[in-house]
Amino acid sequence: MGELSDRGYHALDDETWNIYGQLTYISSWKLPFSAPYTNLNGSPNSLLPTAERSFTGTFTLFFGLRIWKQLEVYFVPEVVSERGFSDLHGLGGSIQNFELQKSGSTTPQLYRSRLYLRDTFGLGGDRQHKDSGQQQLGETVEGRRVVITAGNFSVLDLFDKSGVTGDPRQTLFNMAFMTHSSWDFAADARGYSWGGAAELYWDAWAARISRMAPPQQPNTLPIDFHVWRDYSDSLELEHDHTLFGMPGAVRLLGYRNREVTGRFDDAIAAFEANPADNAANCGANFNYGSTNANAPDLCWVRKPNTKLGAGINVEQFVAKDVGIFMRAMYSDGETEVDAFNSADRDFSIGSVAKGTLWGRHVDNAGIGFGLSGISKIHAQYLQMGGVDGFVGDGDLHEGAEGVLEVFYSANLLRAIWISGDYQHIWNPGFNRDRGPVDVLGARVHAEF
Amino acid sequence: MRSSSAVAIAIVIAAGTARAQPAPGFAVERYYASAPGAGWLVMDDLDIGRELAGALSFTLGYAHDPLVVAGTSVVEHEAFSEIGAAISYRRVRLYANFTSPLAILGDGDAAPHVDLGNTPDAISDPRVGVDVLLAGEPGAAFRFGAGAQLYVPNGKREDYDTDDTFRAMFRALVAGDAGRYSYAAQLGVHVRPLDESSIAGDPQGSELLFGVAGGARLPLPCAAITIGPEIVGATAFRSFFGWDTTAIEGLLSARFETLGPGRNVRVKLGIGGGIDPNFGAPEWRAIASVEVFAAATKHP
Repeated sequence: MGELSDRGYHALDDETWNIYGQLTYISSWKLPFSAPYTNLNGSPNSLLPTAERSFTGTFTLFFGLRIWKQLEVYFVPEVVSERGFSDLHGLGGSIQNFELQKSGSTTPQLYRSRLYLRDTFGLGGDRQHKDSGQQQLGETVEGRRVVITAGNFSVLDLFDKSGVTGDPRQTLFNMAFMTHSSWDFAADARGYSWGGAAELYWDAWAARISRMAPPQQPNTLPIDFHVWRDYSDSLELEHDHTLFGMPGAVRLLGYRNREVTGRFDDAIAAFEANPADNAANCGANFNYGSTNANAPDLCWVRKPNTKLGAGINVEQFVAKDVGIFMRAMYSDGETEVDAFNSADRDFSIGSVAKGTLWGRHVDNAGIGFGLSGISKIHAQYLQMGGVDGFVGDGDLHEGAEGVLEVFYSANLLRAIWISGDYQHIWNPGFNRDRGPVDVLGARVHAEF
Repeated sequence: MRSSSAVAIAIVIAAGTARAQPAPGFAVERYYASAPGAGWLVMDDLDIGRELAGALSFTLGYAHDPLVVAGTSVVEHEAFSEIGAAISYRRVRLYANFTSPLAILGDGDAAPHVDLGNTPDAISDPRVGVDVLLAGEPGAAFRFGAGAQLYVPNGKREDYDTDDTFRAMFRALVAGDAGRYSYAAQLGVHVRPLDESSIAGDPQGSELLFGVAGGARLPLPCAAITIGPEIVGATAFRSFFGWDTTAIEGLLSARFETLGPGRNVRVKLGIGGGIDPNFGAPEWRAIASVEVFAAATKHP
């Protein structure tokens, strides 16, 4: 778009359309690690202790078009090819690559990640400029406004944003730093869904509310469109501030899901009442493939259940182009993961800096520390040999799963970034008996 | 008339037997939409100028009974949406189209079961294409051009939204305007590697494409409405114009378009059905499309 603008064919500040694209390839190498047991008694969800390579490759086009005044439509087709460690099993809130999807394969798959309408209703206030970019037409909006979004998108497009970590394809690799690990937001197996959201911006304040459709079965691609019956509601309050002349923001997020899931206490009670209701006997009931006949399983107890959670997201720039971030969330942990990952609580903190200090202002460097944990009843269920969508070694010595990550991203040729990354992950799958795990990573990212 | 033929009856019986085995499926859609900004529903108006210009389109379509074998609607309902984008410059148009199946449903063992819930994000066989205006000028009585399209396999054969092979189309195009009337025609080849001649209704290799369209324009202030028929078809080279290897359908199309400077809008509607409802031509079909198109203007 910049080239067209430079030649006088496009007005970046007042766009009626734009097209952007990105290409990202991430490769991760897991070194061998210590584990006294793996996939014990037929439980299939352990992170394998052998060396493994994981990768993701994504290619995305972002189309934006102004249909009428402030009514805009966005269409985002994407191709993904991937392979997770251990078929994406064995890690809870610290999956090493945020791009990994649950339905991915090494064969490239093209899909529509987003197709949605966005309308803005001005209510006055200061004029603010929105730069042209992915999923954003260059335009001027009023500081007080209502924004309605409806269609096929990710709730992360609107909620729990971070001005410090920004586009995850440019910063920290680990999923623990993309959003709250324990926010079980509604999404299909790729991370997108259908629904609607309303945002109110009032000078330094913003409030957001959304209702999104959950998957038909936990962690699968098909979507349940009966949103009056099964849904995920989210509410976020945001305040932008300036502290010692530097910008920052505080966001409070709460969610309530009503989805067809299994409660851990129900699964344990069913198994104890009748040992035939075990993981190996699920039959046609939706299950995760455990053959452990001495373990409870969620397949016996799925029904409409409610999940609640609340969290905080704080960001603060402490110098020009140097920011710190912190997130923390507590979810009730009574039910299984339906759409994101296995964590029931999370805490993360870190910093990302541009290379302005050392004269490479388009480079990025960062460090992050993340912890995620599970509820007591979740731990009891895993200790009995149960599995959820991602974790379950057949036994458990419970501990918080943690990750420490450092990365550096060097810019080449204006639109290409080459990144190196190291992650140290302990207690994989919330299990102190296994690990720690060291992961080396590399990333090539291009934008156009 | 044909069904009275003993040979045809034998073929139909054999076809029923063949389809009784669950088949792997194929790209059942035979509505090959024109490029974004190309005017007609299927034909191309070759209105490709020298200035930098672009178009974006959104299309919804529905076909009823596009695949009926031995009286069974293997695919009874087929609905899709398609989003396209095109850019043209110096008489060359480049474009891409992304088709998403909304519903592909039918009866029998081999029937697909695709709906928005089961496949919420599917894109089937996207295509990229190039059209070139070789002779004539936009608005002239005779324009001649050529086009090529590449279909990239994406989807599942059992969903009847892909052949799971690359496909290509090469077309010779003519179009023109004379007063209130306009016309367009095409003749081309659909290079289709999938050849399952043993299964009734399935693709039988590469096909000849043909089509013609004509319409009358009703001028309005700053806009126009063009109404006219489009007739399109395909026949497999394996059995040239054979009764079970030829699909011909007609569409009555109407398009409303603004014709001012800068950005314009075109709304296209079409309804019709199989003149010879075999080989993927549906019993009836409805199409609705909205296009935004504009020539780029220099900003100071």
